Amino acid sequence: MGRKFYASISVVVLLFLVVPLVVHDTFYLRVITEAIMWIGLAVTWDVLAGYTGYLNFGHGAFFGIGAYTTAILMVHKGWPFFAASIAGGAMAGLGALIAGIPTLRLRGAYFAIATWALARAIQQLALILDITGGPDGMRLPPFLQPGFFFYVMGGTVLIIFIVFWYLFEVHPFGLKVKAIRENEDGAMAMGLNPARIKIKVFIISAVPTGIIGGIYAYWITYIDPSSTLGDLVTDQAVVMAVFGGLGTLIGPAIGALIISTFKTYFWAYLSDYQVLYLIILGGLIALSVVFMPDGLWGTVYGKIQNARLAGSKEKR
Amino acid sequence: MLQLLPQAIVDGILIGGIYITVAIGFSLAYGVMHVIDFAVGEWIMLGAFMGFYLNRWLGLEPILLFPVIFLSFFVVGLWIQPLIHRVLSGRRGNPVLMGLVFTFGLALMIRGIALTVFGFYSHSIPSSLAQGSLFFQVGPIFVTIPLIRLTGLGYAVLVTMGLYYILHRTDFGLAVRALAQHKEAAGLMGVNARRTGGHVYGLYTGISATTGALIGCIFSISAQMGPDYTIFAFFVVVLAGMGYLPGVPWAAFLLGFVQSFFLIYLSPSYTMLAVFAALYLILLISPKGIFGKGV
Repeated sequence: MGRKFYASISVVVLLFLVVPLVVHDTFYLRVITEAIMWIGLAVTWDVLAGYTGYLNFGHGAFFGIGAYTTAILMVHKGWPFFAASIAGGAMAGLGALIAGIPTLRLRGAYFAIATWALARAIQQLALILDITGGPDGMRLPPFLQPGFFFYVMGGTVLIIFIVFWYLFEVHPFGLKVKAIRENEDGAMAMGLNPARIKIKVFIISAVPTGIIGGIYAYWITYIDPSSTLGDLVTDQAVVMAVFGGLGTLIGPAIGALIISTFKTYFWAYLSDYQVLYLIILGGLIALSVVFMPDGLWGTVYGKIQNARLAGSKEKR
Repeated sequence: MLQLLPQAIVDGILIGGIYITVAIGFSLAYGVMHVIDFAVGEWIMLGAFMGFYLNRWLGLEPILLFPVIFLSFFVVGLWIQPLIHRVLSGRRGNPVLMGLVFTFGLALMIRGIALTVFGFYSHSIPSSLAQGSLFFQVGPIFVTIPLIRLTGLGYAVLVTMGLYYILHRTDFGLAVRALAQHKEAAGLMGVNARRTGGHVYGLYTGISATTGALIGCIFSISAQMGPDYTIFAFFVVVLAGMGYLPGVPWAAFLLGFVQSFFLIYLSPSYTMLAVFAALYLILLISPKGIFGKGV
């Protein structure tokens, strides 16, 4: 971790601490909190997709498991919020362990199918069970402190980001993960256990997702199967990561910022055309894959690198 | 309850027949392109709506519209496949991954367009075959076979036999099988991977779309029906072994049994859970399908 890294982290932390002092309008504070939440969801999706090459099309299920676990523990068992949201993360991690054991040994297509089916199964489970309130969803005790949720959400996502940065860009663990993505047989020949490492990454991706889900549940105070466990959570995380740039941590964060800003304005001014939003999301995914496979960040960063190379050649 | 058993078995076979056509084109496309298509349910949905509107405007029997629907979606498939081919032959590290993401985006886009154009309502396609049914009664046991479902099973058998003929008795089929086995070697033997792949994808979209029209005659259709059928297609194909065509009919019948037994003996709201549990067990025990021949 160079000096640059510490400098940029301290700038982000400063900005983050100052925001609620400058932004007094609760609407904007809410919009910013939501944008931060999507950064968290896009980055957690990308550590599995971009770093191991396994596409989790059931990311929303882990978000929902976290939200429902938190809600159930708080409403039925009277747990305090922080303990309940951490338990939500633990449940999401357990879900990832169970879902990952059979599927991560296999090729990516199986994993994509299984996670997608898992999301549907979890949604149906929440519709049937009594403890989750069925189709009516659950109401949590209201706690109307936008500033509190801003700090909790932002702090959580910041910690996630720093831990991921350390794990995947600094620690040797990241190299192992990338080795598996590039050549699984080669990595195995070097003495790595790909299935075990992939399951670890899956859990590392699912636990924070569950915690974010728990914070979301307490923040929004109402969760139901069609919104919290619906496809849209996964769809948006995928778009943000793919559009921003797979296999980096900054790319999905940038993608999340752009798309969640767009989403806010779209829903505010064009809410009559809700379904258009799906077309835009789908079109954005398909077009980025065809014309910009490295994503926004990858493309821009690549151009900068090329310009630098060209510049250093001219000097010589 | 035991009196219902023969009906449950017959229903399972009849529903299973539909799942054959839901999954067989999809399995073929996977075998050749090695990319699972998340849009499979959306092709079914689009075909269903094409059948619905053609039937409404022309007043023709839906079964007679099948060739038109098949040809239209064959052309659509020919037009889409080069995009997938482009993604798959990209210089990016993991083209299969990008292919998956692409079809996922395609599915979202089609669903959005369909919701915009067709709205949220459910419809069904009126067919003159839907009124008639066959009754069999032996003592206290009786079995009903609706004619339209029997037609569906007949169509599935026809498609399966047609595909078998194409794959094993024609030069095109030989090229397809060669391509599925080894892409580079097939290319060296003079197989045009691009064109053959396009035709396979066209066959797949065509079969899926006609299946949609069939489903419209038997059940109801809506712009949101796609993901359910995508799950069913996934289930059948994983059960059969990914890309292993002869396994598809048996896996489809098994899914039909699961569904008809849950409908009669338990609650239909548990179907998706049962499907997932079965999928999980297969992946845990025999990931290459019940025949162990998947790729």
